[in-house]
Amino acid sequence: MRERLVIALSAVLLCLVPLVVPNYTLTLIVEALIFGLFAMSLDLMVGYTRLHSFGHAAAYGMGAYSTALILLHFNLPLPIGIILGVAISVVIAIPIAWICTKSTGVSFAMLTLAFAQLGYAMIFRFKDISGGSDGIGGIPRPAGPFGIDFFQSKSGYFYLVVFCLVGSYLLCRAIVTSPFGAVLTGIRENEAKTRALGYNTRAYKMAVVVMAYGFGSLAGALYTPFAGFVAPELFFWLVSGRVLIMVIVGGAGTLIGPILGGICFMLLEQQLSEVTELWPLIFGSIFIAFVMLAPDGIWGLLTKRFRSKQVVPGDGEDGETSRATP
Amino acid sequence: MPLLECRGLTRSFGGLVAVDNVNMAIEAGEIRAVIGPNGAGKSTLFNIITGVLPVSDGQTVFAGEMITGLPVYRVVQKGIARTFQLTHLFPDLTAHENVRIAAQAQHADRWRPLAGGHVLAASRKVADEALEQMRLSRFSGVKAGMLSHGDQRLLEIGMAIAQKPRLLMLDEPTQGLSIEETDRAVQILRDMLAKGDLTVILVEHDMEVVFKLADKITVLHRGRVIADGLPDEVKANDEVQSAYLGGLE
Ligand SMILES: Nc1ncnc2c1ncn2[C@@H]1O[C@H](COP(=O)(O)OP(=O)(O)O)[C@@H](O)[C@H]1O
Ligand SMILES: [Mg+2]
Repeated sequence: MRERLVIALSAVLLCLVPLVVPNYTLTLIVEALIFGLFAMSLDLMVGYTRLHSFGHAAAYGMGAYSTALILLHFNLPLPIGIILGVAISVVIAIPIAWICTKSTGVSFAMLTLAFAQLGYAMIFRFKDISGGSDGIGGIPRPAGPFGIDFFQSKSGYFYLVVFCLVGSYLLCRAIVTSPFGAVLTGIRENEAKTRALGYNTRAYKMAVVVMAYGFGSLAGALYTPFAGFVAPELFFWLVSGRVLIMVIVGGAGTLIGPILGGICFMLLEQQLSEVTELWPLIFGSIFIAFVMLAPDGIWGLLTKRFRSKQVVPGDGEDGETSRATP
Repeated sequence: MPLLECRGLTRSFGGLVAVDNVNMAIEAGEIRAVIGPNGAGKSTLFNIITGVLPVSDGQTVFAGEMITGLPVYRVVQKGIARTFQLTHLFPDLTAHENVRIAAQAQHADRWRPLAGGHVLAASRKVADEALEQMRLSRFSGVKAGMLSHGDQRLLEIGMAIAQKPRLLMLDEPTQGLSIEETDRAVQILRDMLAKGDLTVILVEHDMEVVFKLADKITVLHRGRVIADGLPDEVKANDEVQSAYLGGLE
């Protein structure tokens, strides 16, 4: 109940943002929200299934490029372009997920990285379509369907991004609290046992990877028409590394935490990189500090006080000492 | 027709034949104990029946259906649930969540990412019952890893019965338990067996437990079946005496 109130309140506050902030700041905020969505998508794998991906940029890049190409070459409304971009990315993610889930642990991480680098290389290989190192510019935001065009203005686009972020969050939350989500938790805690209980864990891992790529590609697809251009850097391993750090700093396995992590870091980066060359150093230090001092991340810190008050009646430490005697 | 039939099951690790041409038929409703000294191949036999390890040779027929070579999750879906000799749990989840995930595995809609409220509700109910049966209800909200060793063993059995199996395979359920804990576990197991028409294969090193619970006993020695029959017959068997029982009693 309380959580719902907080979410509803933040949504309302978010909606007021374009009315009060200057134009330039709004650009930063939109990009930060998109990155928040991107970080949340990775959390499905990292936080809920303990599948560490070092190549989540592949999802972002695929979404961005496919949407860019669709909007550029077909005369389709923006929302349709985004939906098709995500759909194409999801289809490509299926074989990627199939191959990556053949392995676990470090090799899984390396395979995801390899696919992102493959995307990066393909951009250069197919210059005619992808624009090579120059990227693609001049991506439009066509109006429609039904004459809808609010997203053509910057503040309108902000609302589109908020809508996608909140919608994706609600969907992801439904997923992680579903029976499917319970199986993911089982895989995270003990995959061998989960298999021995009768679950085809490989299929579940494939499904969650495809979902994570799907939501990640939505972030990429939203970025493209906003920025108006795409560049091969979207596939670069630094993007993958940064988003992984945002998930961990934000609080893996909480959805909200990575969203906050993504938003905070984008905003901080944009501010600090203007005033100091030391930004990467600061970024690194913050990461190390969180891993060592607050492994539950930003969201863990924010909710700690609330959580420590929650005591399960009749359970807990008491149950340890006074054993049940039948 | 027996519920489970092992035909010439064999499994070797390099040069070591851990399970050697084992033939065994378990009737529905039977409580079968598999005994034998350490390293006799009991756990390996469990692993090859359930598909945790592939067989080197032989076949397993369950309810008239060949299950040899199926991956473990398919075997389990046919109605076999097992516990491991070394406790296999989700230590960071609560006792209730552990059993709920186990119960959910038997639901047709167990995979649902959306609109799965009915699955969760049904699994919760089964989990409550299984915890009750294991007399662990009061630890429902406690993390499995925080439970005592004895309660963890019982919790794993609770997970297995929450799967509503036709065949329950328990690998040394009383291993590492104190005398009081063993008595309590045996009492709980007895109540559980008295209640249902469960078919059980029980690996157990504690002869008292075996004679209290089992209808029939199979004795393994160096991977081979050296005796097979009613408890009294097995007790009187000379080969068993020298290979195993003699050493213990
Ligand atoms: N995964 C394995 N790899 C190699 N050897 C194994 C493996 N599992 C069991 N063994 C060997 O097989 C024999 C039987 O082991 P096990 O089935 O655990 O016996 P039991 O459960 O009767 O004590 C032992 O000699 C053991 O060392
Ligand atoms: Mg054993």
